[in-house]
Amino acid sequence: MTDDLLIQTADKAFAATCTHERVQAAEAEGWAGEVWDAAASIGLPWISVPESAGGAGGSVSDAVAVLVVAGRHAAPIPLAETGLLAGWLLATGGLAIGEKPNTVVPGRPEDDLRLEHDRLTGTAHRVPWARSVDRIVALVDGQVVAVPSGAATIDRATNLAGEPRDTVTFPGVVVDEIAPAPRGVDADALRFRGALSRVGLMAGALMAMAERTVAYANERRQFGRPVAGFQAVQAHLVRCSEEAALVDLVARVSAREADRGEARFEIAAAKLLADEAARAATRAAHQAHGAMGMTQEYPLHLLSRRLWSWRAEYGDSAWPRRLGRAAVAAGPDALYRAIAEGSGSGIAV
Amino acid sequence: MKFEPTELTAEESKLQREVRQFLDELLPPGSYEPGLGMAAGSSKALSLALGERGLLGMALPAEYGGGNRSAVERFVVVEELLRRGAPVGHHWTADRQSGPVISRFGTEAQKRRFLPPICRGELSFAIGMSEPDAGSDLAGVKSRAVRVDGGWELSGTKVWTSNAHQADYAITLCRTSDTDDRHEGLSQLLVDLRSPGVTVSPIRFLDGTSDFCEVVLDSVFVPGELLLGVEGQGWQQNTSELSFERAGPERWMSPYLVVEHFLRQHGAAMGEEAESFLGDVLARWWGIRQVSLAVARMIDEGRSPSVHSAMGKDLGTQFEQEVMARIQTLVEAEPSLDALTLFERLLARALLVAPSWSIRGGTNEILRTVIAKGLR
Repeated sequence: MTDDLLIQTADKAFAATCTHERVQAAEAEGWAGEVWDAAASIGLPWISVPESAGGAGGSVSDAVAVLVVAGRHAAPIPLAETGLLAGWLLATGGLAIGEKPNTVVPGRPEDDLRLEHDRLTGTAHRVPWARSVDRIVALVDGQVVAVPSGAATIDRATNLAGEPRDTVTFPGVVVDEIAPAPRGVDADALRFRGALSRVGLMAGALMAMAERTVAYANERRQFGRPVAGFQAVQAHLVRCSEEAALVDLVARVSAREADRGEARFEIAAAKLLADEAARAATRAAHQAHGAMGMTQEYPLHLLSRRLWSWRAEYGDSAWPRRLGRAAVAAGPDALYRAIAEGSGSGIAV
Repeated sequence: MKFEPTELTAEESKLQREVRQFLDELLPPGSYEPGLGMAAGSSKALSLALGERGLLGMALPAEYGGGNRSAVERFVVVEELLRRGAPVGHHWTADRQSGPVISRFGTEAQKRRFLPPICRGELSFAIGMSEPDAGSDLAGVKSRAVRVDGGWELSGTKVWTSNAHQADYAITLCRTSDTDDRHEGLSQLLVDLRSPGVTVSPIRFLDGTSDFCEVVLDSVFVPGELLLGVEGQGWQQNTSELSFERAGPERWMSPYLVVEHFLRQHGAAMGEEAESFLGDVLARWWGIRQVSLAVARMIDEGRSPSVHSAMGKDLGTQFEQEVMARIQTLVEAEPSLDALTLFERLLARALLVAPSWSIRGGTNEILRTVIAKGLR
């Protein structure tokens, strides 16, 4: 179980720096230095990376708990990328973690990165904050590679929330930092870990969205009473609160299991639920807010646009079939055990 | 509003293994026609066997024949029964709510009289709450008990009373005095359904079954010692009773066997759409089970998770409806209760009864107002 103090400390750091204005400004500027500095000064980006490798130590559960807090505040920094993802790859390859922000190549189907001898060539897409980080970490041909971002050509692109998701082209860059990825560290493992990171962020954003929606509906008055008094509106408040509570719970359960093993079933299931929640809960929250929720002056959009983006990151459409095929392979006699015991039932996702 | 993650302890997992083995032997496939969750059939023989094995009244005190175990341990047993579609009807209400409510509010004599036979699987209970003019608005019950020599004389009509035709007793909510606040002046009586003046008639359910009943109470004498708890505290006691019946496995497992047998029948020949369906329901079942387990753990920690359990029921029963909405689009066969395969029979039955899943135990609309109050 994650220490409450860690969560409180992270909450304090993000609450102080992730103001509406600053998060909004980060969209135009592509970087939020104050937010990064506040997080880095207390070691948040390197949680779950072993101290022996130069990280801050702590468990995957700790890292996910911090991501939940970051998601709650819409923190516009590569927090998941630096530690849980790039930090993990660097540590497994025995490469230096460093003290600056890093990012990871998520691995889109349209990417064509390849190693020719010690030179990295090709293009990677949707790389978070590539323009602002120190190094770009990727898994290429079974190798963990780390390249200074200055050595790549970066075409700026963003997600729906204005977070940088750049296109990165490596023109035959000589790679100084390279190490073979150990067994079990591959594109698929990265996909699961990436999905877990998004589940954490989404859980936080969903909780904040639900709380904000409940508060707004209890303040906003129409027909002489708070709109939260209308049963039809209450149904929306309940829907987004239920979805948020469900995703928050499964985020923590899947992180707990990821500290014990691969947790493929739990992560796939949690991401699937978070993706569904992103659709259903944002719809309910916006409906309950009416026109105000559609404006930039009111901060609901900081959360809803992130949820619509994170939903698609690390595979939205792939998870249902993947889980379904695993259930078919495990067979009907194993179905209930998968529901009750997850990965522990032996289901192979 | 959050749920705290929990998982089975080593001891709870051991119980789970034991229960699985016991039920595999007691209920081999083919030895009974599986049903849908808590609406599966009724078998006193099964209930007695479970009682003998110590699997009923698990969370009740040992001195009254209970297992002295926890809500989570009861959860483990219930989900193993429901996933087999076992005929749990005889003991269901007594085990889930009547026993716990007697244990909480009953007199010493009531506990000694009722709890041991409930734990043995002998006594069967029905729920005496709804009336023709009091459904969601339960405080409007018109059944009335007046004091007579040695007890109460009770008159009124209860409806939608599952299993009343077979049950021994019904904990009956009735008015015992008139007050300005209609939540006051209500009491719960333990009514022997074989008393003179009790007439139980079936209300035929839309699938043709007749477990649903009307109970007419015509000047029924209820001995004074069968007033449950405190006179006038019926509303509070009843609310507590309802919280026992909310976020358990029965609120998300009703269509489980339909899906298991869908997989059994279609297996590897399943198309992409069916695979996606299966993935979706597997994930959501797993997630909602985590919610339901978290609520059971809260009960064991002595908290009263009324809003959490209402959320669990709303999530669970909406999901149950969603399962049926989607699975019927994946099946070519025309639904029929006398289909040759078990899957098709289960599917047909589920299509007929699914609307009841988000009504029984409190409609989802009313639950949402309960939840919304808790969110403020």
